[in-house]
Amino acid sequence: MIENARSLNIVASLILLVGMLYILGPLYLTLTTASQSYEFLLRNGLAWYPGDQFLNNVARIFTETRIPIQMLNSLVVAFSLAIATCILSFLSAYAIVYFRIRWAGVAFALILATIMLPVDIRVITTYQVASNVFSPINALLDVTGLNGLIAQVFGEPVQLELSVLNTHFGLVAPLVAHGTGTFLFRQFFRTLPGDLFKAARMDGAGPVRFMFDILLPLSRTSFAALFVLTFLSGWTQYLWPLVASSTPDMQTAVVGLARLLPDSDGEVPDFPMIMAGAVIVSLVPLLMIALLQRYLVQGLVLSEK
Amino acid sequence: MNAIDTAIRAAAASITVKGLTKAYDPQTVVIPPMDVELKAGEFTVVLGPSGCGKSTLLQMIAGLERVSGGKILIGAREVQDLEPKHRGCAMVFQNYALYPHMSVFENMAYSLKVAGMAKAERAERVTAVAKMLGLADYLHRKPGQLSGGQRQRVAIGRAIVREPGVLLFDEPLSNLDAQLRHDMRVELADLHRRIGATTVFVTHDQVEAMTLADRILILNKGRIEQFDTPKAIYHHPASVFVAKFIGAPPMNILAVTGDGSTLRLADGQVVANAPLTGAYQIGIRPEDIVVDGKADGHAVKAALRFREDLGSHSVLAADLGGSIVRIATPFGMDIADRLELDLNFPTSRLHLFDAATGRAMPGALGAH
Repeated sequence: MIENARSLNIVASLILLVGMLYILGPLYLTLTTASQSYEFLLRNGLAWYPGDQFLNNVARIFTETRIPIQMLNSLVVAFSLAIATCILSFLSAYAIVYFRIRWAGVAFALILATIMLPVDIRVITTYQVASNVFSPINALLDVTGLNGLIAQVFGEPVQLELSVLNTHFGLVAPLVAHGTGTFLFRQFFRTLPGDLFKAARMDGAGPVRFMFDILLPLSRTSFAALFVLTFLSGWTQYLWPLVASSTPDMQTAVVGLARLLPDSDGEVPDFPMIMAGAVIVSLVPLLMIALLQRYLVQGLVLSEK
Repeated sequence: MNAIDTAIRAAAASITVKGLTKAYDPQTVVIPPMDVELKAGEFTVVLGPSGCGKSTLLQMIAGLERVSGGKILIGAREVQDLEPKHRGCAMVFQNYALYPHMSVFENMAYSLKVAGMAKAERAERVTAVAKMLGLADYLHRKPGQLSGGQRQRVAIGRAIVREPGVLLFDEPLSNLDAQLRHDMRVELADLHRRIGATTVFVTHDQVEAMTLADRILILNKGRIEQFDTPKAIYHHPASVFVAKFIGAPPMNILAVTGDGSTLRLADGQVVANAPLTGAYQIGIRPEDIVVDGKADGHAVKAALRFREDLGSHSVLAADLGGSIVRIATPFGMDIADRLELDLNFPTSRLHLFDAATGRAMPGALGAH
């Protein structure tokens, strides 16, 4: 709808302005607070204008907190999450689209179901499994009565135990199980001409060769899009890293940032330092978006289809 | 004739199909047992309506579909259990199926690369084929930068660069516009004359079949209706199905009853003399019906329903005893406002079919 009434224009501009204030206001406060000193904050409360302590605050983040090592953790988590998700999604979509598997429909439905069951919902059971990855096997042995048999023969039931809590693997693995990527690749594969696979077979290329020579180069944009999306989601994950990591050296930057708030009541938090930390932690995803925003948009368009 | 032409001519192999069947399950039989032999170097067009099993047949020859039973021999080799790459076939697909991310050169060289051919030899072969198809100037373009006809040529080039014994085409012209389709048809015919590869060409377009084929294999529900030269198929259709499928407008088919000496239409008019009794079908091509003139058949009266003037000729539709008969007449015949036509079906041009089976009964009306 295109209206040219002047009054409408003004109202629209006002609404836009309010929206921008709503979004940019906190961002502005983050930046101004980050550039003031703790003393200034104690004296004046909110920092409405920028100060000159920004570099000082940043230096304190690097010297007084674990944020640097935690950012390294975040990098490891986000990168491995993005790479693992890309590979897994690509392979599963390849299997579903290009091979005549009887239960491919069921498999795909189950994969889609994971989109509706993010870690936030299944956090307790996921924690249980992560604390002992063999617990499903133990449970199975118990339920089937095999363990009773083993206890009779060997004198003791089988109780396997391996915890992946507080490891990078434990931080990443539960997040990889997410169907968005598979869905994205499947949609993309279905836009490709179906005869491509047959043509490659006629040319003598088997399934593996087809995957590497034809499908992989064609999927470059989808890979980039999915990589950016999962990297960002990995970087900003909060709940699972909070639950799965117990030592500060294993926590991710976002969790570490939240932990900068003092545990005891009554103490005024060092907001300038925390905000400086927030700015630093935001730089990585910001850089990612700046560099790869083209793919991000394509990815969003693709996953909406 | 260059090296590629000679190599393909030498590799041309016959295709023999023995008791070949395809069934997805016992209820859905796509192709009942089929026996057919395609000679080396022959251009065979497999023609039929959609769903008749023609693409399935082609894909079974190519090795893209499993056979449910029977044998396929290429040359003297049984190939039904071999991988596509070991069969010596190459295929051109309906939507070309070019690799979008590869240049024209890479597209054509890919099969050679997979086969492990040395780079220099690869380049030599591709260049030779590209020159033959007029693609030499486009070798570095991507398929997306080519026109439909050029893409089609790349697909053909990709197929013949391997010097296959058998060339398979799966409705390759159906994505092109009318003019381009005509040009490509001429090019294909020319190409086949030059390289002489055994060619199987699947289509539902009778014009392609008539113009390209050495022999046409007409399929109906997986069964072979007729396998013969275009001329024989046009003039001596083996069944009502073939008669109706070939020709535009198709052959007129009318139900007749024989009383021992004559064949009568449903409304009692006599169309031919024949010592037959019982129900039959007669067929006559639109261009064989004589309007107003004298011929050696019986005169019948029909009501004109409408006419289409096509420039080169006119097609009249007339009601004859309840069924519509199409007649091709010279353009400009003075029949615009006449309601009744005097038609004559020359007996020598009549085709007689069994009413129950639809099979042709050659000779039953006398000499053809």
